[in-house]
Amino acid sequence: MSFLKRLREITSGLRELPSRLQDIVDGLTLLCLGGLLAALAQSPHYWYFLNPRFSTLTLASGVLLGLVGLVPLLRPRPGRTTIARLVRQAAVLGFLCLAAYAWEQAATAPFPGVFSAPDETQALFQPTGEAEPAAAPLVTKNGAEYTRLNLAELYIMLDKGRTDYPSRFAMRVQLSEEPALKKLGLGVLTRTAVVCCLADSMQLGFLAQGLERFDTKRSDTNGWLEIYGRLEPMDPAGEQALKAVAQGEGMSLKVVNPKFRVAVEAAEPIGPPPFPYLFEFREQPPFAW
Amino acid sequence: MDQSALATFAAIVTSIVVEAAPFLLLGSLLASILAVFVGDAALQRIGQRSLPVQICLGLFAGLLLPTCECGIVPVARKLLRKGVPAGAAIPFMLAAPVVNPISIASTYVAFQGDLSVVLLRIGMVLLPAATLGWVLGGVKPPELLRPSLNLAPSFPMSGGGGCGCNSGCGCGGQHAHEGSPPSLHARLAEVLRHTAHEFLDMGRFLILGACAAGLFKVFMPQGVLGLVSGNPVLAVAAMMLLAVVLSVCSEADAFVAASLSMFPRPALLAFLALGPMLDLKLIPAFLGVFQRRVALAVIVVPAVMIFIMAVSLGMYWGLA
Repeated sequence: MSFLKRLREITSGLRELPSRLQDIVDGLTLLCLGGLLAALAQSPHYWYFLNPRFSTLTLASGVLLGLVGLVPLLRPRPGRTTIARLVRQAAVLGFLCLAAYAWEQAATAPFPGVFSAPDETQALFQPTGEAEPAAAPLVTKNGAEYTRLNLAELYIMLDKGRTDYPSRFAMRVQLSEEPALKKLGLGVLTRTAVVCCLADSMQLGFLAQGLERFDTKRSDTNGWLEIYGRLEPMDPAGEQALKAVAQGEGMSLKVVNPKFRVAVEAAEPIGPPPFPYLFEFREQPPFAW
Repeated sequence: MDQSALATFAAIVTSIVVEAAPFLLLGSLLASILAVFVGDAALQRIGQRSLPVQICLGLFAGLLLPTCECGIVPVARKLLRKGVPAGAAIPFMLAAPVVNPISIASTYVAFQGDLSVVLLRIGMVLLPAATLGWVLGGVKPPELLRPSLNLAPSFPMSGGGGCGCNSGCGCGGQHAHEGSPPSLHARLAEVLRHTAHEFLDMGRFLILGACAAGLFKVFMPQGVLGLVSGNPVLAVAAMMLLAVVLSVCSEADAFVAASLSMFPRPALLAFLALGPMLDLKLIPAFLGVFQRRVALAVIVVPAVMIFIMAVSLGMYWGLA
């Protein structure tokens, strides 16, 4: 008897399956989206998209979305199939495809603005994305002492009108050699700073003078340098040269400091840092470098 | 679109959606908790107060209920559907992303303790939010909201509200209609189910907006920004456009604005005030949730008022 009752329940459930399909698809969609968030938060490529400090939040959201998706998936209710419901499912599925493509690109091909090496050498420059040991806050070069800081930290201090920035500093930068500037003996030192995500990323830069005295080219460094120098006010020639600086491409707004330029006292090619983007900005020593 | 542009577009869309998803989820969860646990009567009591009091409650509710613009629309929609008057819900929707402790603190830090920027930003947000609260204050929720989007099921659990099955719910779901109050377990399950529907409802607008922002970032010539930074009026317009296009979260936009120091202060304030009220994530949500005329008012009024305020500030400071 109970077997027949159970069978009736099962057949009744199967009859209602088409009407419950929408809830099941909703649940599956949310599970996939939650899975993507959780997996991305755990992946070494998370930093391509967001500041790593948000990875825990992304992971928690992914888990919660999965939990939320389980309810309509496991306990679907009969419901109508409407265009609006199909559209919202399609939107999420479309996004999942786009995100999978972006992730695949992040894993295999560098983004514009981060790397500029020719295709055949790009594989050499895939950053590890792993945290690196803290560097000494001070470094001595040619008998002079330099404070290590990152380009965004220096930029922010200048932006705020501070005058207590280190008089001599060492920074890791990417050199952008533009023909119009090279004729004037100038280059542009840049780093991309990310506060939250790529949408707010900015490629910050300084004009640099004195680079021609150093060997800045090494085939295996992809334009990465550690430079040692000091700031000097921009002169009229520098202001004129600023107009020749190429605009950023695609991903990030490019802003070159209009008031100061870097007088380079030493420069040496280095390998790319674990994260090409800058995510941390301190305004007093020890700086994030 | 070549492969590089497509990769950039995909990366930007992904980053915006992944960044905003937690906040949208939080907003959906909050809306669901409101729907399931908070009685309609408690919220409807706000309607018994005078319009100025409603507006003030809406403007400053963000101090107690901090949320960024990514998750604000579902909460506002739920408040309206629960009977909160438009005079409070609309100002809350527009002001809360800025008038909340997190956004205020981030602006203060980004502008190195410059309190004038914080206060002017808040003022430039409060004024359009209060204006729209005043104008839309007498409008009933059915005249504000688009019925076709009432997809998320309502539940008879909050007491006194009725499930709304016969009032255009549209979900087609089997709602609980038993007379006995549901258990806590059942209510929690309903919160999750409701959150799923709310998140998917609003998620499509987030994705659509992120795609629009991605297209703009890929194709917008950045040189234009540099060209207009020297003209105070054009700079205000350009920064407002940038605020809409970048769709940066209201809790991070102050740091972006602080980096754009080549722009005059009124233009930066316009960027800071408009972004949380209007961006490419919000425009599709407004158009999808509100009746056409209300959505247009919510889009146009803040933009026009902020432009006028920013240009006036520039003139007052002798920049224009």
